[in-house]
Amino acid sequence: MRTAPSADVDEARGKAPRAAESGDRDARTVPVGLLLSGLAVTLLLALTAAVSWGSSGVPFTDVWSTVLHRLTGGQPRPGTQDLIVWQLRVPRALLAAVVGAGLGVVGTAVQALVRNPLADPYLLGISNGASLGAVAAIVLGAGTGGLLGLGVSGAAFLGALLSFALVWAVARRGGAFSPLRLVLAGVAIGQFLSGFTSYLVLRVGDEQQTQGVLFWLLGSLGGAQWSTLALPAAAVLLGLLALQARARALNALLLGDETAAGLGVDVAALRRELFVVTSVLTGVLVSVSGAVGFVGLMVPHLCRLVVGGDHRRLLPVSALTGAVLLVVVDIVCRTALPSTELPVGVVTAFVGAPVLLFLLDRRLERAR
Amino acid sequence: MRIEVEGLRVAYDGRTVVCGVDLFAAPGEITGLIGPNGSGKSSVLRTVYRHLRPASGRVLLDGTDLATLSPARSARHVAALPQERGGDFELTVHEVVAMGRTPYKRAFAGEDDGDRAIVADALDRVGMARYGTRAFSALSGGERQRVLLARTLAQDPDVLVLDEPTNHLDVRHQVELLALLRAQHRTTLVSLHDLNAAASVCDRLHVLRAGEVVASGTPLEVLTPTLIADVFGVRAAVIGHPLTGDPLIAFDHTATVAAPPP
Repeated sequence: MRTAPSADVDEARGKAPRAAESGDRDARTVPVGLLLSGLAVTLLLALTAAVSWGSSGVPFTDVWSTVLHRLTGGQPRPGTQDLIVWQLRVPRALLAAVVGAGLGVVGTAVQALVRNPLADPYLLGISNGASLGAVAAIVLGAGTGGLLGLGVSGAAFLGALLSFALVWAVARRGGAFSPLRLVLAGVAIGQFLSGFTSYLVLRVGDEQQTQGVLFWLLGSLGGAQWSTLALPAAAVLLGLLALQARARALNALLLGDETAAGLGVDVAALRRELFVVTSVLTGVLVSVSGAVGFVGLMVPHLCRLVVGGDHRRLLPVSALTGAVLLVVVDIVCRTALPSTELPVGVVTAFVGAPVLLFLLDRRLERAR
Repeated sequence: MRIEVEGLRVAYDGRTVVCGVDLFAAPGEITGLIGPNGSGKSSVLRTVYRHLRPASGRVLLDGTDLATLSPARSARHVAALPQERGGDFELTVHEVVAMGRTPYKRAFAGEDDGDRAIVADALDRVGMARYGTRAFSALSGGERQRVLLARTLAQDPDVLVLDEPTNHLDVRHQVELLALLRAQHRTTLVSLHDLNAAASVCDRLHVLRAGEVVASGTPLEVLTPTLIADVFGVRAAVIGHPLTGDPLIAFDHTATVAAPPP
């Protein structure tokens, strides 16, 4: 093969003067390693702030001394500070980071899976099944120790599996889980299951239960405990690894199924794997936090603006950005109103809708 | 390398769209598939780049059945430029062309200097060397098609498979793209609607009608007024092109002729 003139190689690496049209892509020259390090530092700061700020403030230094003391195997110090920092706020802040990271990753993958930038983790009906499970546990299982002895989270995950099985059965017909079939199956089955949820809430639940259900449906990180943190954290980490291993195939899928096939991607197998990974991950996330909206839609878009569409960069950047975003949002939820806590979904919707409109505006502007 | 399609049958949703096709593309030659809409051209090509599985029959690459190779392995030999247009996901030209390296890469492997040189070379070959950092979605139709051709070149394939690569291009871009194709000197299998383009660019043609090959040979042998009337249902005169000497098909745009039922 003929060797290319070195100037072209430099240009391909993004060193040559760029064309005017690509002016909005300057951020791409930021090395992704530096960006990820910056995001990691930001996440650490956000986590510290999340533990520090609240109804009773704890100075940053005390936050870290308590955390380091406990991390190095120290016994709980007497007083309320250990309780507030280590038992309540650290698990909650970490859960926010895990759920945010998971939603960012799943959102990115689902958008590639159905090749639609407006897709989000809840498009394929998994969250509707989880909601049905959770609501059934809250409403039917009240006072009897939860549905079949499962907690709300267990029932939610069971519901997620139920809708996954239904969507799978419908979408696999005719072969390759085509994007259109997946979306139609997901939306139809999601609505179907939502019908059951609404029925349960209206006909069976009492007023107090209804409020509990509403809070759950809007998403909440209030249930965070150390004991319930490991499973979602492991799921997000494994999910990210599984998707990162397929990052090139995901890229190929963006250009189309036939293009991907021509690049040596087994498209049918890839779609199956993506559907399983994103569904399980969504099920786990919704089980622990309810269906927190907008994060899975907004984060991939924001990150694409900065690092472009290549999934090798987009997946880790989306994970960290989602984590930072949800940690910050949860701070707002806990501190915005003096005596009461806002559901996470309310704040993500308030932040997410304007951001989405801004992105849409920008996209239309460019298309002109 | 030589591509041979043997007794190929392809079915979609139980409907047979290709019924027993035999054809070949000789090493270094450009082989054209022509035929009316729905004659099975795209289905044959999709089987060659393994988007579709044959219901029966085989696709042989220098005698090796492609189905015995892993998808990635056969993609190192056969690169495809399908008709589809993907979504807009903020990819740069460089990123699109670098996808051509997919069949050579393991999971988690990054892009190395060799890949970058190959991508730059591929862009250079299609005259898009200065476009690497541009947004793919901001390109014109002709530029996009050249970038996608560069992607297939970055795959460093023995065989190029292209489905209607000149669709939606104006005449100048059509001529440019086909000239680029000629300049690659690779075994090429291409479907074309434009019979005059096929006559001038292809070394050999296979004519499909209703999922069967009805004629094969050089453009001069194949493109006769009788065949054009039979297969396409239009009247045409075939004359020598005043500038190039290639067969020139002059259609009678005033009337169709009754094509025999397939």
